Amino acid sequence: MSTAEVKTNTMGNIHVDDARMTARMVDVFYGDKKAIDNVSLDIGSKEVISLIGPSGCGKSTFLRCLNRMNDTIDSCRVMGTIALDGQDIYDPSVDVVPLRARVGMVFQKPNPFPKSIYDNVAYGPRIHGLAYDKAHLDAIVEEALQRAGLWAEVNDRLTQSGTGLSGGQQQRLCIARAIAVSPEVILMDEPCSALDPIATAKVEELINELSAEYSIVIVTHSMQQAARISQRTAYFHLGRLIEVGQTKDVFTNPLNQQTEAYISGKIG
Amino acid sequence: MNNSKLGLLTPEQATKQVQKSIDRRNNQEKRYRFYGRLAIAIALIFLVTLFVTIISKGAPGFFQYYVTLDVELDRERLDPKGDLSTGSLYSGDARGVVREALFAVVNPEGRSGRRAAGKMVSSGSEERIRKFVQKNPELFGTIQPIRFALDDDIDSFMRGFIKRETPEADRRINDNVIGYVDLLNAQGRISYNFSDYLIFGSASRDAEMAGIKGAFIGSIMTLAVCLVLSFPIGVATAVYLEEIAKKNRITEFIEININNLAAVPSVVFGILGLAIFIGVFGMPRSIPLIGGVVLALMTLPTIIISSRAAIRAVPPSVRDAAYGVGASRIQTIFHHVIPLAMPGMLTGTIIGMAQALGETAPLLMIGMVAFIVDVPGSVMDPGTVLPVQIFMWADFAERMFIQKTSAAIIVLLVFLVGMNAFAIILRKRLERRW
Repeated sequence: MSTAEVKTNTMGNIHVDDARMTARMVDVFYGDKKAIDNVSLDIGSKEVISLIGPSGCGKSTFLRCLNRMNDTIDSCRVMGTIALDGQDIYDPSVDVVPLRARVGMVFQKPNPFPKSIYDNVAYGPRIHGLAYDKAHLDAIVEEALQRAGLWAEVNDRLTQSGTGLSGGQQQRLCIARAIAVSPEVILMDEPCSALDPIATAKVEELINELSAEYSIVIVTHSMQQAARISQRTAYFHLGRLIEVGQTKDVFTNPLNQQTEAYISGKIG
Repeated sequence: MNNSKLGLLTPEQATKQVQKSIDRRNNQEKRYRFYGRLAIAIALIFLVTLFVTIISKGAPGFFQYYVTLDVELDRERLDPKGDLSTGSLYSGDARGVVREALFAVVNPEGRSGRRAAGKMVSSGSEERIRKFVQKNPELFGTIQPIRFALDDDIDSFMRGFIKRETPEADRRINDNVIGYVDLLNAQGRISYNFSDYLIFGSASRDAEMAGIKGAFIGSIMTLAVCLVLSFPIGVATAVYLEEIAKKNRITEFIEININNLAAVPSVVFGILGLAIFIGVFGMPRSIPLIGGVVLALMTLPTIIISSRAAIRAVPPSVRDAAYGVGASRIQTIFHHVIPLAMPGMLTGTIIGMAQALGETAPLLMIGMVAFIVDVPGSVMDPGTVLPVQIFMWADFAERMFIQKTSAAIIVLLVFLVGMNAFAIILRKRLERRW
């Protein structure tokens, strides 16, 4: 589907060159309730794009469409096209398991497995058969923890339980777990909302570093955070994508009056 | 504001009214607290009475009276072939050797005297002598003090259930025998010891030899069959219903039926086992295999229900995390959900097993009530279970059986309490904090 044909009410430019994922005319229903209405958006490679908007506007729902996590909800129906590297991920022939290895997810409340730190990170590579042998698996775990900025803190206690770490460390462990399967895109659903400011700062710094390797889509309630870490920002409102553009443009010079109302605090 | 009686009160009026009602409400609370305590006290009194009764009746059942006799271990009489083989020992005259030792002490007169005296020692004494010489062949030719169980009538006399004062015609033992007992007692040969028959002996018509070993082994075998069948099937069913099956009318129907099955009287499962396994398939009666299958049918709903609850208690965040990293549904279930639900599943299973241990009615229906002396060697040999053994013993008239019945009840209760306590400890220790 050529990018020029998309009819949308979104203001700003939904397209990017070299898009990693493209969403076209996506509708999402929970039962009879329409949660996402005709959203089209590109996700670029090696960029951070933040999805902002008031509660209940559908940003988390949209995020979960990108790795088909909505499949786990029985009443949810997704219509439209979402493509990863040109291939429609909702095509019946697509296996959702490798998809989720290519599009990883970090959740709002840190949820490490109740296993050891090592096993948390090694679980993904194990089930996907990514390591040739134990030494290779060890190397994968070490590199993932290093990229997540956690190696220095935990390398002497890899066998201890992942749930014994602090909140910020647990979230970085979840990021390491997502990185370990070498994804192309990392989805983050309000990853810092359960963390204290110091841990938040560490995770934001981490996101900055990661954006050199991965596409990152982050849902956030904090506009300041979006301004700090993302290159593009998309504003959702009641299931519609109202505006999308370069972060500094959206925050200093929004095209849509609804966007302007949200950013200046009049709504939300 | 106005003072109209039909409207809102002023704050001052309201405060006064609330004060007045405080006393009434405090009294009400005191009364309810009292009722609650009274109810608990009554329940505790019943419980304590139950335990005191059982223990006081059953504790003597663990002991019985023995007599120590000096037995001459004559090799030619006991081991005619001289090779200590079973055949040789059984063809020997162990009975005669024991009788001689006894008569040496009590000196019975006349045939009736000797016959009555001969019945004083348990008929199990022969087996005891045989085992003794087999273990200690170097003692042949010597005179050894050996302890034998007294017959249950003598035992009852020693406990005071058969009284001297009763006229001889109404007594089970006659005056001669009482005289012999007095003689033995005067020589200090009668002792009251822990009964090795109760635990290690099998079912027997002779009360002094009766024990629970056979029934106990039968119980263990039956429970083992029940566990092997009900645990995997129950867990698999719970996993399927909770994780894999779509929520539609059919699964609802199944769930309702499973819940109902948990409330069905257990004897119905016995009838089912009788009709299908024994009637249609023609399998043998009274074997632990069939008993285990029937008990498994009965325990399955319990295990399924508790396993489902355990699976539901696993937080969705764990599942999300697993799916998020690319685990398939089966991998998520087996690597994450089941290990986290296992404590709850195990607890439910142990409680189900404790219930099955005490079940009598369904096993009566499939015939595990026969009088079986041998300890079952495999699940296909006829056997019985502990609660059924208790049930059978309760039928017998001899006084000693009554005490042994209570003692066996104590053994059963100890195991039931033990299993339930184990389940509670397991649950406490394995409780996880997400």
